[in-house]
Amino acid sequence: MLKGKLKLPLPVPDKARRAFPDRLGSLVAGFDFKEEDYGGGSDLVVFEPGEELETFQPNGFVSDKDQSAGVANFVEESDIKVRPRPEKDGAGPVSTVQVIAVDEKRSDLEFELSRPEINLEKLQRIASAGLPDGGGLRATAWKLLLGYLPPSRDQWEKELTENRQKYAKLKEELLLSPLPWTNGNLESRQSELTRRKDEAFSYKEQHVDVDGPLRRHEISQEDHPLSLGKASAWHQYFQYTEMVEQIDRDLQRTHPDKKFFSGETSFSRKNRQAMKNILLLFAKLNPAIRYVQGMNEVLAPIYYVFSTDTDEKNAVNAEADSFSCFVRLLSDSVDHFCQQLDNSSVGILSTLTRLSDLLKANDEELWRHLEFTSKVRPQFYAFRWITLLLTQEFDFQPILRIWDCLLGNSFGVQDMLLRVCCAMLLCVKSRLLSGDFVANLKLLQHYPDINIEHLLRVAQDLSPDTSSYRLSP
Amino acid sequence: MGSSSGQSSNYDLSFKILLIGDSAVGKSSLLVSFISNSVEDLSPTIGVDFKIKQLTVGGKKLKLTIWDTAGQERFRTLTSSYYRGAQGIILVYDVTRRDTFTNLSDVWAKEVELYSTNQHCVKMLVGNKVDIDSERVVSREEGIALAKELGCLFLECSAKTRENVEQCFEELALKIMEVPSLLEEGSTLVKRNILKQKPEYQAPSNGGCCS
Repeated sequence: MLKGKLKLPLPVPDKARRAFPDRLGSLVAGFDFKEEDYGGGSDLVVFEPGEELETFQPNGFVSDKDQSAGVANFVEESDIKVRPRPEKDGAGPVSTVQVIAVDEKRSDLEFELSRPEINLEKLQRIASAGLPDGGGLRATAWKLLLGYLPPSRDQWEKELTENRQKYAKLKEELLLSPLPWTNGNLESRQSELTRRKDEAFSYKEQHVDVDGPLRRHEISQEDHPLSLGKASAWHQYFQYTEMVEQIDRDLQRTHPDKKFFSGETSFSRKNRQAMKNILLLFAKLNPAIRYVQGMNEVLAPIYYVFSTDTDEKNAVNAEADSFSCFVRLLSDSVDHFCQQLDNSSVGILSTLTRLSDLLKANDEELWRHLEFTSKVRPQFYAFRWITLLLTQEFDFQPILRIWDCLLGNSFGVQDMLLRVCCAMLLCVKSRLLSGDFVANLKLLQHYPDINIEHLLRVAQDLSPDTSSYRLSP
Repeated sequence: MGSSSGQSSNYDLSFKILLIGDSAVGKSSLLVSFISNSVEDLSPTIGVDFKIKQLTVGGKKLKLTIWDTAGQERFRTLTSSYYRGAQGIILVYDVTRRDTFTNLSDVWAKEVELYSTNQHCVKMLVGNKVDIDSERVVSREEGIALAKELGCLFLECSAKTRENVEQCFEELALKIMEVPSLLEEGSTLVKRNILKQKPEYQAPSNGGCCS
């Protein structure tokens, strides 16, 4: 299985890490500003000269030159939704100051990414504060943060070429082979099955027009179409077809409001086909997990970001790159998708308990109210938050922004994910405290529009000192 | 969503309804069609979704708490807890996909047997997507026969055209009100809720959802 494959860079000392978000904190009303965290991190400020001015979401303000014709169409609609509510951010028309801030943020990142040896700690900090839309910066940064690209620039070309070739080969072997439903050369029985299936098929072809009962001595009992045995090639075939149909149905329903994914244009069809290949390949390589609903949602942001990269070569190879990054992203949370592990220490229920512990450590009053007064169990709302990495809770652009923060966290995606989930509860605390079971469940299952930057700052500022929630650094 | 929240108790009875059935048969669409009179493209349900609808049936003001569950097998260990305390269960299949129909008896009826805590719980079989009649593979007669076998009410509907959508929930509610023990539960829930409004410290179990 995949467990433990995700290579995360060494953790930053806690103080330095916390110093960064705190610089932004002073802009948010009610945000607990921690002066003492500031001192140690002063060297960081040098890399983000424009940060203090940033009082808006970076997503909505992409300059024309950065939007290639193809990309722009699919960004516009969501940008409108994304723009933060004015009363919270005071964002009127885009001011010169803001444009400069975005430009500076972009150039910081461009500078960082142009260095021969990327400093991952710096990249993590830049990402946590939000990566710019448009161009290929986010795509490159995500690939680095996920460890898909090595820190040395001069190895990128070689790594990418190798990985893309590897993907093409896997696809060829496992998806494009005449018998894609068997487990390919990963399974020792494969050649035996193939031989028998081939016989069965050629037998069928030869006799297709022949009347009368089929002779069946050439098909083993096990491989008879009506055989219920799990080892039967037909059983595998039916399972495979069922899974393909499931993936198709789910991809049709992935972000149904975004033209990139849904509808019957050749463009969206192409995207769905690529995503389908990725999910099928993942399922084949992980027979114990296969495809679980929701994986489509986790894949969507990655594939979108990579295939809208303005570097044409990267965009063309989005499928191969997305596959590897999808695997890496899931590597520390794939157990959440596994029913057999639900009650184990790595399963989703134990992660939900960690969320509950984190809330308790940060706000016992709210924790008590949710657990005992209104009895809104985390599995009723946070199951989806966690397994889908928040992809069904927000609009698309805010999701990308949140993922910058998840991927930029030096303690791993899951650590930040739990923090963001906890922050989501804290940010609607007063409503939760006055709500009963029904009101609270409705609120948490349909999370309100919120200032994402504020949410992320609350998440980053949470007290980390609980016994169990933190993943091993 | 359009429905009012369950804060006020300007209703006579409160019932918990559960929607189950295979993935992509249209459970969520049916619910959205019922709740907000609209037809939308929806993402697959992960875990559980939850909606409230107030309506008047048989002269009584009802509050329905409707739990919309995920269809894929992976989620079943989690959905099992949602059965607790349900007075009505709607088993949905897609008339254009036979496997979703056969799974009702092979899988879903067994789940109900296993997890439903209410032995008098009213069940209803609903065949969705009748608007695509050209692709229909499960006939109305087959549906009726299975409903009879499983002891369920039966309806065919289309979440898309909204044909029979309201009837599904109304008929189910009517039937629930005919069962004395369920009627009792429905009014107890309301009474508890009224009591709960005043003292903050009182924490009785609400909505019949979990221990």
